[in-house]
Amino acid sequence: MRPRLVFGIAGIIVFTSLVMYNFSQSISSYVDFEQATGMEGNRIHVIGTWDNSQPAGFSTETMTFSFFMTDEAGNTRRVTYPRPKPNNFEQADQIVVIGEMRGDTFVSRDMLVKCPSKYNDAVNPELSELQ
Amino acid sequence: MIGILGQAALSLAFVSAILATWFYYRAAQKGGQKNESIANALFFLKGAFTFFASGLLVYLIFTHQFQYYYVYNYTSSDLQNVYLWAAFYSGQEGSLLLWVLSSFLVGLAIIRWTTPDYRAPVMVFMGMTQVFLLSMVSGFPIPGWGDLGASPFRTLASEMPNSPVFQANPDFVPAEGSGLNDLLRSPWIIIHPPVIFLGFAMMTVPYAFALASLWKRRYHEWIHPALPWTLGANLCLLTAIFLGGYWAYVTLSFGGYWAWDPVENASLVPWIFGMAGIHAMLIQKKHASSHKASIIFAILAYVTIVYQTFLTRSGILGDSSVHSFVDLGLYNHLLLFILVVGGVGFGLLAYRYRELPEPKKESPILSREFMMFSGAMVLFLAGLVIILGTSSPILGRLFVDNPTPPDQQFYNNWTLPFGVLIGIMTVVTQVLWWKRHNAESLASVLIAPTLIASAITLTAVVWVDMRNIWWMVYLFAAVFAVAGNGHVMYQIIRKNPRRAGGTLTHIGFAVLMIGFLGSGFDRPMVDQRTRDYNRAVAAGQVLDDDGFRVNQPIEFVELEKGTPKLIDGRYMVTYLSGVITEHNRPGEQEYEILFEDVQSGRSFVMRPTVYPMLSNSSPGAVEWTVDPDVRTGWFSDIFMYVAGSALVDREIERMNRENPGQFQTIDQLGPQMADHDPEETLVRVRRGGTVQIGEYTVTFDNFVYVDEAELPENSIIGVKADLLLVHRESGESIQIQPMYILASDDEAQYAFNPPVSFALPGAQRDLNYDSQHEASTISPSYTPGNDTSTDSPSDAPRYGAPGYGKSAYADGTESREEALTGSVRFREVHPDSDEIELAFRGVEGEPEREWILLAAEHKPLISVVWLGTFLLMFGFSVSIMYRWADQKKREAQQKDSPDSGMSGSGKSGTEKRATGNHGPEKHEDEAKDIGQDDAEDKVGGEDLADSKGQHREKEQRPHPTELK
Repeated sequence: MRPRLVFGIAGIIVFTSLVMYNFSQSISSYVDFEQATGMEGNRIHVIGTWDNSQPAGFSTETMTFSFFMTDEAGNTRRVTYPRPKPNNFEQADQIVVIGEMRGDTFVSRDMLVKCPSKYNDAVNPELSELQ
Repeated sequence: MIGILGQAALSLAFVSAILATWFYYRAAQKGGQKNESIANALFFLKGAFTFFASGLLVYLIFTHQFQYYYVYNYTSSDLQNVYLWAAFYSGQEGSLLLWVLSSFLVGLAIIRWTTPDYRAPVMVFMGMTQVFLLSMVSGFPIPGWGDLGASPFRTLASEMPNSPVFQANPDFVPAEGSGLNDLLRSPWIIIHPPVIFLGFAMMTVPYAFALASLWKRRYHEWIHPALPWTLGANLCLLTAIFLGGYWAYVTLSFGGYWAWDPVENASLVPWIFGMAGIHAMLIQKKHASSHKASIIFAILAYVTIVYQTFLTRSGILGDSSVHSFVDLGLYNHLLLFILVVGGVGFGLLAYRYRELPEPKKESPILSREFMMFSGAMVLFLAGLVIILGTSSPILGRLFVDNPTPPDQQFYNNWTLPFGVLIGIMTVVTQVLWWKRHNAESLASVLIAPTLIASAITLTAVVWVDMRNIWWMVYLFAAVFAVAGNGHVMYQIIRKNPRRAGGTLTHIGFAVLMIGFLGSGFDRPMVDQRTRDYNRAVAAGQVLDDDGFRVNQPIEFVELEKGTPKLIDGRYMVTYLSGVITEHNRPGEQEYEILFEDVQSGRSFVMRPTVYPMLSNSSPGAVEWTVDPDVRTGWFSDIFMYVAGSALVDREIERMNRENPGQFQTIDQLGPQMADHDPEETLVRVRRGGTVQIGEYTVTFDNFVYVDEAELPENSIIGVKADLLLVHRESGESIQIQPMYILASDDEAQYAFNPPVSFALPGAQRDLNYDSQHEASTISPSYTPGNDTSTDSPSDAPRYGAPGYGKSAYADGTESREEALTGSVRFREVHPDSDEIELAFRGVEGEPEREWILLAAEHKPLISVVWLGTFLLMFGFSVSIMYRWADQKKREAQQKDSPDSGMSGSGKSGTEKRATGNHGPEKHEDEAKDIGQDDAEDKVGGEDLADSKGQHREKEQRPHPTELK
């Protein structure tokens, strides 16, 4: 078993190293808008919530959906997204946008909307709703 | 009351499970029928309690008892019965309960069908897992600590004791529940979750068998009964994965069937490890090697299930998945579960490691044993990569602070080479499985598939203009796998079709691989203009307002009602209609889109829907979601959905009007038609088309030619436009025919088009009309027949007869009579576009066309994916039937021959192993070597494996591990 064992173990070590390296390249970190401004690359992840006090809408002229988002550090920026408003957008607990910062606007390519799924706790029932 | 009963039942079930496991332990340790009987009885009792509790929960759901937290959270009174049933397992507690029930049924099957010697030890480990699962739903009160787990029978009051509602009235019962998530209201929910949990439950069996074998030191026989179970578990998981993928594909606007989401990986990785285990077990059957591998993979498959359950239910994945599973407080519980399951499994393994048999001789590389083992290892590594990616919130912390999940490319980059490797290996292994080869004979067998694969790959590369070399290699491997396995399958079917299961699954997998390649060629179906724009974007030529490069192509087409557009260079698409039908849900809109294939002349209508998710929407937000329509084809699908429309906008406005301030919605701005002059609204409308202006719909039916007699002198031509003005809210309408006359005198031509006044339909009953018109100065109060002026200081209108009041307002604004009329002028004719231009006065609103935004995608080879999946399932089924029957025969034989291998101590087994003989153990046999001469009579049927088997064994040459 000796030569094969050595070969097998060496193979696994090489493999694992390759995977870990590739893995570390594929993940990134959640940052806020301030940090995103200084970062390179176009797959910057920012996590936050929809700022519904500001206008949001999809324009069929430019085919982009734009809205305002507040990140976890409290910064609010305008965000654009190249598709119509995703499902569950208004009810999302959190939104993750992936893209890059351009000037004052975050141009996102992907958006993850965290839907309060079936495993979530119930929204606290409003008094008026129940009575 | 019922809740307390249910909770008690679950607690009793929990206690029974503990006791049953204990008695199974005693039975396995000391032997004795009595212990086992008691254990069985306790086990049945546990099952009875669990079924009883489940029945109570179902009863609570069907009788809409919203004082229970679970019923409130997941149901509502308008839910159809099928979904009420599905709500039973839609929540975390209920789904765990379903898992327990499935485990119980699997346990019953084990008790009934497993050889007696194995029964007790296997049930110990089965029982152990069920103790944990039950503990998570029992709500068993532990004095001084609280309740164990999260019981589905918790009341709303106990969940939210601080809510003012309950402090005021502790017996409060909500009138209505939150309802089931709209996306889950689909027939697929009836079958998808139960199959998953059945698969999880079945995967416990190989785990339990492996541990039992380690405990009892019987390292050889356990794989025989365990193999059909492992195959069954994998079949269940495969079915569940397929159902989930198909459901997502036809329901979500995502347009795909797989997203590498943690929940998806949670069933995939156990499946992969299960496959590795199956391959290891198969070698062990034939060759008495790979004992360690079989045991390790059997343990690993179940541990992975528990680990993934931990990842998805504990909330640790919180930010990184769209499936956000909030911590039910089960974090520690789940952590303990995984630690115990893993610890017991690997602990026992370590403890017995040195005793585990090792094959004396090593197999050469070109032997089936080595290839199978390598195949299992490749599967293992692939599963490892996926689990690494899924664990990124934990493992990513090694690299960055706040790790995100890996880019999807990570998974694709790794699974592609694995796919290539697996494709090629399946062929080599299959060929070697049935006949021994050396390098030359192997090569000669493989020439044919290689040639076929090369030819097809080259053709495909040229045909679809494939540039990526990895894809070419991948395609080659997949076709090679189909051709190679097909060749083997042809030989098997001729001789013994019952054994074709394995080969069939390999073919299915290869077909699946080909189908996956199709997703690299998805393209959005857009019109020529958008295509040109996208090309410019790809070339980097498009800049946005701030001067930055635009990187995103446009994937939508805007369609106007009745106007066809050519998309994808092939289909003329026309938006036919969009109506609120409320077919399946309140507010549901159905659209009809006509597709006409210009190449083949065929046409079909697609019917996507859009609906508001009212049951999901809490006050403050109405969500709209879409139901795509898919046209399945042999080689490609057309996937499409409506991403927005004027109808949706109007509905949103209507909801806002009816419940001002309640719904906060996001406008979808339709295309701007023209500058909106508050005085005069200019509108262009096609013949036969419609335009929306504010609350009205204007339809231009046709031209009406004017009689010569009616025309003034000098007229060249005169037409009237036949218009229908409809007030949407009230449904009232009026027909107007403004005139356009082209006349000439000696010098010039001029148009004569007087405005036509009309009474605005619907205005008189529209009480809100005034409030809009006059802003906040009026309280709209309608007192019929009361024409004495009021003394109130505000400018309250006085209404005389309904409709046209004659009073003027105190602030001098126009009288109601004026406000209720409008006028239209026929401004222009545009014969080239068959349109006319109209000028409206007094009709409020911006004109909008009936538009929709269509997202359509051309998706090749989707049907191939489904075909591959079905072949896989079919292959699994064939294998299961074969292995199950084989196992039955084996057991029947063992009953006959008294010194068959199930002796109490394992040592004799080990010794026999060492001599390289299979010992009394049933030799699996048969026509593996198709080419062998004496195989001819074996091939006839399985009946061979029985009574004759024993003799045959002794006659057989000592098991050949090497040849040459």
